[in-house]
Amino acid sequence: MTDFLAGYNLNIMMILLCPMVGGVLVTLLKSKRRIEVITVVATGLILIQSFSLVGNVLDNKHIEAFDGIFYVDSLGVLLLVLISGVVFMAALYSINYMGRQYHNGILDDRHLLRYYQAFNMFALTMILVPLANNMGLLWVAVEATTLVSVLLIMLYVKETAIEASWKYLIVATVGLSLALFGIVLYYYANVVSDPTGSNDDKMNWTVMMKNAKLFDPDIVKIGFIFILIGLGTKAGLAPMHTWLPDAHSEAPTPISALLSGVLLNCAIYGIIRFYLIGHLVLGDGFLNTLLMIIGIISVGIAAASIYFQKDLKRMLAFSSIEHMGLVSLSIGFGGLFGIYGAILHIVNHAITKPLMFFASGTISQKYETKTISEIKGVIKTMPLTSMFVLIGTLSIVGLPPFNIFMSEFFILSSGFSSSQYLAIFLVISFLLVIFASFMKHSLGMIFGSPKKQISRGDLGILSIVPMAILAALTIILGFYVPEPLRQLTGNIVQMFGDKIINV
Amino acid sequence: MMPQFDLLAICSAILLITTFAVVARRGFMDWLNAYRYQSIALAGVTAIIAFVTGIWEIYIAAILTFVIKAIVIPKVFLRVTGGLAIKNKIETDPYISIRSSVILSALLVVFSYFITEQFPFKFDKVVNAFLPVSISMFLIGIFVMIVRKKTLNQVVGLLILENGLFLFATSLTHGISLIIEVGIFIDVIIGVIISAILMQRINYTFDSMSVANLEKLRDE
Repeated sequence: MTDFLAGYNLNIMMILLCPMVGGVLVTLLKSKRRIEVITVVATGLILIQSFSLVGNVLDNKHIEAFDGIFYVDSLGVLLLVLISGVVFMAALYSINYMGRQYHNGILDDRHLLRYYQAFNMFALTMILVPLANNMGLLWVAVEATTLVSVLLIMLYVKETAIEASWKYLIVATVGLSLALFGIVLYYYANVVSDPTGSNDDKMNWTVMMKNAKLFDPDIVKIGFIFILIGLGTKAGLAPMHTWLPDAHSEAPTPISALLSGVLLNCAIYGIIRFYLIGHLVLGDGFLNTLLMIIGIISVGIAAASIYFQKDLKRMLAFSSIEHMGLVSLSIGFGGLFGIYGAILHIVNHAITKPLMFFASGTISQKYETKTISEIKGVIKTMPLTSMFVLIGTLSIVGLPPFNIFMSEFFILSSGFSSSQYLAIFLVISFLLVIFASFMKHSLGMIFGSPKKQISRGDLGILSIVPMAILAALTIILGFYVPEPLRQLTGNIVQMFGDKIINV
Repeated sequence: MMPQFDLLAICSAILLITTFAVVARRGFMDWLNAYRYQSIALAGVTAIIAFVTGIWEIYIAAILTFVIKAIVIPKVFLRVTGGLAIKNKIETDPYISIRSSVILSALLVVFSYFITEQFPFKFDKVVNAFLPVSISMFLIGIFVMIVRKKTLNQVVGLLILENGLFLFATSLTHGISLIIEVGIFIDVIIGVIISAILMQRINYTFDSMSVANLEKLRDE
């Protein structure tokens, strides 16, 4: 065990300090312009720090810091970059979106202050998830994300927002209690497997991985079921997804983008961590079947709900359920393609879904409605935004040459190579339904002519820039995977393949 | 050693009785008192486990349990509910009647004792006494949350569930490390405060504390 100070890492400390300082400064300097700038700067610094951590991880494979409380490997750093990237985009987009709501009188100064405080805290709690080595800390961080995001959803004092936040709070907290139950079982298996050592570090993921061979398989099985149900609730996997469409559609749009784009991934990340441990104990069969079943159910439920959907943001929320289902399914298929596809899919979804949410937020501000049938002719009223919607839609339904096509291609081919023909058949038919209904809804909104007189013009440069960046990434990742990303995913695939991690 | 066994039995009895009080009573003050007594008993149990194992960190967890769960959280609730009409504090029309709820909860306790025997745990006195109790509390907490309409009652169910979880972790593994437990306590307090704010808003917006109002958001 290293000395606490010897395990000092400036990078990690900076990453955690930025949102804390941001939150404090926002509280102190109350004026609108200042708190916007502070939040953008704080999140920008987090993004820069995460990139430098990527370089560090690529050189050293993994970093342990602060006496083993924090541990970053390729999987962690990848999620960290996704989180900080989307948080930065959301901070930029917030200036326009929340500013517009402020000018329209929906929010006052107090609300705006509370929004930016919670925004910084939300960033902090999400960043803690991929950094945590102690699985108890991971749980505390995930539960904290629930609490902060509930605060953000109840920013509006509307009936629907209150209902969404209550459901979210109750369902997610009960779900996470189940997850903690499972985590305690893993911890117990670790304590029993090695009775001689001290129990201080037995909660650490690295130590669990080291002792995994000695775990009692039955306890791990029960524990994983609880963790899958618990973190699966947070990840929006069906049938525990009931809170998700409400919360995602009622939150302020930048927050919807964060919830869908990266918070779901935080929960999936937790599941992957425990899957990796369980995989060493139980091998392929049991865990993979569970993940596959839950994945197929999620895609199926999403398909049915998207088909009948009337609300724009709810449609996007169900699409998130679909994609999380695909990730779970892909891990269940396993193999080189399966894992590679799952990781790539997490990345692609985290890029494209915020794009769609930003665009939907801009559209619904312009049209003053979220009902799909009320929105027509976006291409005439907002030419630029409609281009982004088109790119996002084509990507999210899985058409080439966009990024999600690539990862879905890997996922389906991993299904064929592991000869899960029934699963493949079901998923392809669900995906076809989603394709048809999503295209119908989106094209109906983009083309045609507006029902009532709506002024022409996009909504400000700061709403366009984040969308443009994300759209560009959506296109680029469709045919080219950058070298660092390729290396990171390669390392992650090895973590699944080697079965033994080099600690 | 005999007296100690009795002490364990008495403590588990108190924990179970207080859990049942939440199921069997209709009024908010009864739930809150039940929760308070349960938390005091829980703090006692934690102190006993600390004494048996001789780990000083568990004593701190016991003190924290007492201060936060027996004093702070009930205070928060009393303050929040001070202005509420009496009709909002009484569970008049649960989804499952009180009588059936008690019977079902008793079945849940039997089920917990049955299920603990199936687990491949290493049993000792403490585990024997408290593991089935903790699982009962966990299950009955979830049960209360499902079958009751009043938001206050749901939160009390959540707290009972959390007590069960705490007892489970402490009796089985002698507590996960202190720093994590402090984190969990903070999460619980913040959760209670947020739920309190939300309950006030529900009361203010819907003029009622029943979750039956919360049915606007759905897909036809």
